[in-house]
Amino acid sequence: MNFNPLPYPIGQAVIFWLILFGSVTGIVLAIALFTSLVARGLKGPAAVLGQVRDFAVDMIRLSPRRVFALSSLTFKEAIRRKALLIFVVFALLFMFGGWFLSGTGERPDEQARVYISFVLRVIGWLTLPVVLLLSCWGIPEDIRARSLHTVVTKPARRNEIFLGRFLGFSAVGSIIVVIMGVVGYFWIVRQTPSDLVARVPRYGDLAFLDREGNPGRGVNVGDMWEFRSYVEGATRARGLWRFKDVYPGDNPDEGLVLESRFEAFRTHKGDMERGLLCELSFFNPETELRVRHRPFQVKEFSQNEIKIDRKLSMYDEETNTTKEVDLFDDLITDGTLYVEARAIDPGQYLGMARPDLFIRMANRPFYVGYAKAVFGIWMMAILVVALGVTASCFVKGPVATLLTLTFLIIGQGFREFMDRMVFQNLNNVLAGGGPVESWIRLIRHMNPQVPMEPGVSTSIIQFVDARMFDLLWIVQHIVPDFRHFRMAPYIANGFDVNFESAIVPGLAVMFGYLLPCLLLGYFSLKLRELEAK
Amino acid sequence: MNRLSSRNRKVVYLVGMIVLLVPIIVLGMPAASGEGSGGYLARLRQEHDLGETSLGEVDPSSATMNLVLLGLRGVATNILWMQLQEQKETKQWFQMKATTDSITQLQPHFLKVWQYHGWNLAFNVSAEWDQVEDRYYWVKEGTKFTMQGSRRNERFPELYWDVGNMLGKKIGRSDEWQFFRRFYKSDPNTKLFEGGPDPEISRFGASEFEDNYLASKYWFHVANDKEESQAQHIMMRMVFRQYPARAQMDYADALQREGLFGERTGQAWAEAYRDWTEQYRTGDPGFGQEIFYTPAGGVRLEASEADMRELAKKDSVSLRDKRTWTSRYQDIVSYRYWRTRSDAESRGKTEAAHREIFEGQKLFREGRLLESKEMLEAGMEKFASLLEDYPSLTSDDGFIEEGLMAVLYWRHIHTLLEIPFPENFALRKLWEKEAARIPSLEIDFRRDNGIG
Amino acid sequence: MQTENVIEIRNLSKVYRDFWGRRKVQALKSLSLDVKKGEVFGLLGPNGSGKTTTLKLLLGLLFPSDGEIRVLGKPAADVDKNERIGYLPEESYLYRFLNAEETLEFYGRLFKMPAEERRKRADELIKQVGLDHARRRQLKEYSKGMTRRIGLAQALINDPDLVMLDEPTSGLDPIGTREMKDMIIRLKEQGKTVVMCSHLLADVQDVCDRIAILYAGELKVMGRVDELLSEQDETQLLTSRLNDEALAEVRQVLERHNAKMLKVGHPTASLEDLFLRTVDESRARPGRRFMPGEDGAAGTPAPAPAATPES
Ligand SMILES: Nc1ncnc2c1ncn2[C@@H]1O[C@H](COP(=O)(O)OP(=O)(O)OP(=O)(O)O)[C@@H](O)[C@H]1O
Ligand SMILES: [Mg+2]
Repeated sequence: MNFNPLPYPIGQAVIFWLILFGSVTGIVLAIALFTSLVARGLKGPAAVLGQVRDFAVDMIRLSPRRVFALSSLTFKEAIRRKALLIFVVFALLFMFGGWFLSGTGERPDEQARVYISFVLRVIGWLTLPVVLLLSCWGIPEDIRARSLHTVVTKPARRNEIFLGRFLGFSAVGSIIVVIMGVVGYFWIVRQTPSDLVARVPRYGDLAFLDREGNPGRGVNVGDMWEFRSYVEGATRARGLWRFKDVYPGDNPDEGLVLESRFEAFRTHKGDMERGLLCELSFFNPETELRVRHRPFQVKEFSQNEIKIDRKLSMYDEETNTTKEVDLFDDLITDGTLYVEARAIDPGQYLGMARPDLFIRMANRPFYVGYAKAVFGIWMMAILVVALGVTASCFVKGPVATLLTLTFLIIGQGFREFMDRMVFQNLNNVLAGGGPVESWIRLIRHMNPQVPMEPGVSTSIIQFVDARMFDLLWIVQHIVPDFRHFRMAPYIANGFDVNFESAIVPGLAVMFGYLLPCLLLGYFSLKLRELEAK
Repeated sequence: MNRLSSRNRKVVYLVGMIVLLVPIIVLGMPAASGEGSGGYLARLRQEHDLGETSLGEVDPSSATMNLVLLGLRGVATNILWMQLQEQKETKQWFQMKATTDSITQLQPHFLKVWQYHGWNLAFNVSAEWDQVEDRYYWVKEGTKFTMQGSRRNERFPELYWDVGNMLGKKIGRSDEWQFFRRFYKSDPNTKLFEGGPDPEISRFGASEFEDNYLASKYWFHVANDKEESQAQHIMMRMVFRQYPARAQMDYADALQREGLFGERTGQAWAEAYRDWTEQYRTGDPGFGQEIFYTPAGGVRLEASEADMRELAKKDSVSLRDKRTWTSRYQDIVSYRYWRTRSDAESRGKTEAAHREIFEGQKLFREGRLLESKEMLEAGMEKFASLLEDYPSLTSDDGFIEEGLMAVLYWRHIHTLLEIPFPENFALRKLWEKEAARIPSLEIDFRRDNGIG
Repeated sequence: MQTENVIEIRNLSKVYRDFWGRRKVQALKSLSLDVKKGEVFGLLGPNGSGKTTTLKLLLGLLFPSDGEIRVLGKPAADVDKNERIGYLPEESYLYRFLNAEETLEFYGRLFKMPAEERRKRADELIKQVGLDHARRRQLKEYSKGMTRRIGLAQALINDPDLVMLDEPTSGLDPIGTREMKDMIIRLKEQGKTVVMCSHLLADVQDVCDRIAILYAGELKVMGRVDELLSEQDETQLLTSRLNDEALAEVRQVLERHNAKMLKVGHPTASLEDLFLRTVDESRARPGRRFMPGEDGAAGTPAPAPAATPES
């Protein structure tokens, strides 16, 4: 309900990635060249460039056979170290899972939602720690036991070692995810009496007209949560949706199915026996044709399906006749459909947000959506493996574990907070200043609105705070956004997982980190003596 | 120290360990079977009845969860509370309910948590929904949740009282009471309950639960039982103990509000009178028969002069003190008013007065003006004599408004029939005495009947 | 005959540093030596003298603090050279969860080798090192000697041209030791180059062509085993039993050069003597190269290997 799938600007993301990656590698290279020049004279930069060349050579001459050997070794190691014991925990959780999940037998749809969230959460929470620990301890343990010595004295390249480890642990993670996913699927299906489907929404853009009918915003009825804007009944206030790429389906006689999930807000009791009424109308700005659809009662927090027939009848006020209008031919031009939503009851409000009205495409089977959600967990596991293996290339097991865990926690839990802080700081709307300033304000009971008295100490404080924010900015740009892997809300809300707004960003984040991880891991392994210290 | 040989050092360590173990054993050893066995903590636990099983039903999943979390229970609960806040803000009610359940799994004996969440579900979440059926669903959720809490904390009266309050006040007195009371008997989820009640709320539809107020009375009774061995901390003891009887009155009153007059209502009031002054059907002493302790010793609300004298003698306080405190306590719960009210309402005459006024108004709305006029006159007649019999009712808002409203209808009929309004009529005394209330009642009257 | 140098070490120094970059140990000081194709080269020295360090530097496991290394004509850090190298570490650092077959299969896969050949070779090696009975057991169940054996097999999986063995006979039983020596000799016969460290001097004496003795990271002695152990200034006669007269006569006869000589030669010191003398001398006069023939008196600072006489 609170999720708002926005299309992911993949092109922009790739460009941003290229810039970031390019500039970081550039800076690192420049620093390396400069320091080596200072330290070792002309031989230094030559050595640095030699390393770069080595990387290229090693990449070109990478041998899939060796990578496979190393990854199957890794896989065997994980299995023989009993990593799969996690399935015991999994089995236990599932056997007793039903106990924990209260049975609201009255609402099978809600019950299914709880079960689905539970299963996906369990898969995530069990898989991630396992792959995290495995990947963070693999290489350090190899170095500590010096078994790596027998490998690097064979013609195994450092990138092959990195990839071998990465792929091996990924295979372990994949097996865990797949098995748990399959078991979880049957568990959900068995626990849930109702038929599960993955609904496929097509979202549009939303604009508002205010009560005078001018473009503007809806009203806030006092919610902390600014997700929905409210439209006042019996005024000219409207929610205006524009849907693109709307074409007739396989069956040309069929119209469209819309689904709404508006929220009702009453300023007076009104008629308690029925829900607030909402009227949708379709219009074509080119022909100025407007067709009003039958009003419907808003049922909150559940699916309101509205069937729109292809042939609509409308009352023409000019000729006083009833006309028949074709939805696709007369109302939709170039695949673009405009829908207006208004509240009918005077003094009552309807809350609307972009994803609150959408076109329902043909349903997909539940397992499709579910598989995609599991795929999201899988991508996350893979990214964790990549981060863990990379960290383990330059620090020991415990440190690598902590480091990766920190990434995971920041990237998942603190992401929102961090984004907000950075955004507010960049736009100078941060109340109360940075950490030091806030601290001082706290101690001195100073209101955030009161400006700090100017002076040297304030300048110092603000300077320190500014650097902290720079640091935060860097962290924000380095730590992966793990939220992109969360596909559970889609499927728990009964939707299919959207490709553009969920799978693509997930893939982008995952792949975006692989190359930097490989580089970092490669050079960490290459530039250090593989001796246990 | 470092001169010690390795063996001596080990001996020192061993002694140290034993010394440290002693307090652990003394404090923490679990109790074996018998009384007074086990360590200090175990004995304290027994003394104060704090053992998991003695607190109420044990939920295996909750116990498992706490075990699995080891010492991290506090952290986990905090996270869950934060999550709950977020879910509440973003209106994810079902997820919120699931989080609520998890929290109580972790803190099963924290009464405030149960109270808070039960209230939150039944009142706040319910109010967030637009449709009455949905609202009712959440009232039920809150009630069931609190019921579950009461089972987990069997010895404590508070949650039982909360359940009684939700079943009574929330269902019977909120804006949507007419719907809720109907839903209580026939759940809107017809698919699941096939037109019957939700058995979890109405206890398998047994007859003593056929009305929400009766169910509420049942839960208040249980709360009172529990209260006898375990003090409650929500209100003054006397106030707390009046609720079963009050639920009975609310029941009778609700029947009247719904226009149901006759034997059943009269009997309901008669039972209320008995509950209030004599004894409950269960054989327990009625509310008025209970002894409550005041600075002037025990008082009984239903007490004659002789009773008070006897009590005064027993507690060796002056009769005046006893009388003052008795009356003060009676005032706190409006004892005399409810006594009179239930007594009056159980009379056939009262019932007839109510019914005739109600019927008269109904006839008016149906447009049968002459019949209505007659009916109202008969009702007003009886009403006036009722007020004569029970003068204290003349200061009861409900009665005053009922009487004035009857006159308003009756007067309007005269206007419509274009006949003069007579100088003298049965309720004239009341009409003149309470003239100040008439304008606002008139507005209600016009609105209810769509008169411009 | 100018033979190809398989290993060239020039002025190699190694300083172990701690995490903060502070010097801990200077493990090698300005070491220079060459190993020629087809020879068996022994690195000797007391514990901690830098033998293992040298091997690890040769393999690129450690980075030199100074100096240059070329192995098979390539820098030590080059990965491709490993195609032709076999290495048996000081202790067998293998994957303990694999069994013998899996171990050889795994290491074999790291080389460019057809699967067929890999399997054949693994099988041969397992038999050769005498582990046929234990091929399916995980290495964590192996005894020390068995682990050494599988370690050796692992080092030979690619049929290397250059074999580096760090204490190959440690932990082996007498038969194993014997087999190991035979193996080394066989490798030499196949034209392979072997570099080994060992404390078992008798074994070194048996198999090595040339040796170097390190002491505290410095090269003290280097040369052909037969030359190093021969005493140039003396002649040894072995005769049948002589009585006193005869003895007196021998002297005369010897003076007249017409006695029957049963055997004349230089007496050979045992390698143990040489080793102990070198260590004693190095302890007494640190920083000097030990010259066995000079009775220790006139040591010269370690010269560049180019100065070592070629036979
Ligand atoms: N990883 C290391 N960190 C610090 N110092 C080390 C390390 N490895 C070896 N050394 C030191 O370097 C010196 C040479 O060690 P090395 O292992 O090369 O000796 P070795 O000749 O092989 O001895 P042994 O006969 O005992 O095997 C020793 O003083 C040792 O303490
Ligand atoms: Mg060594």
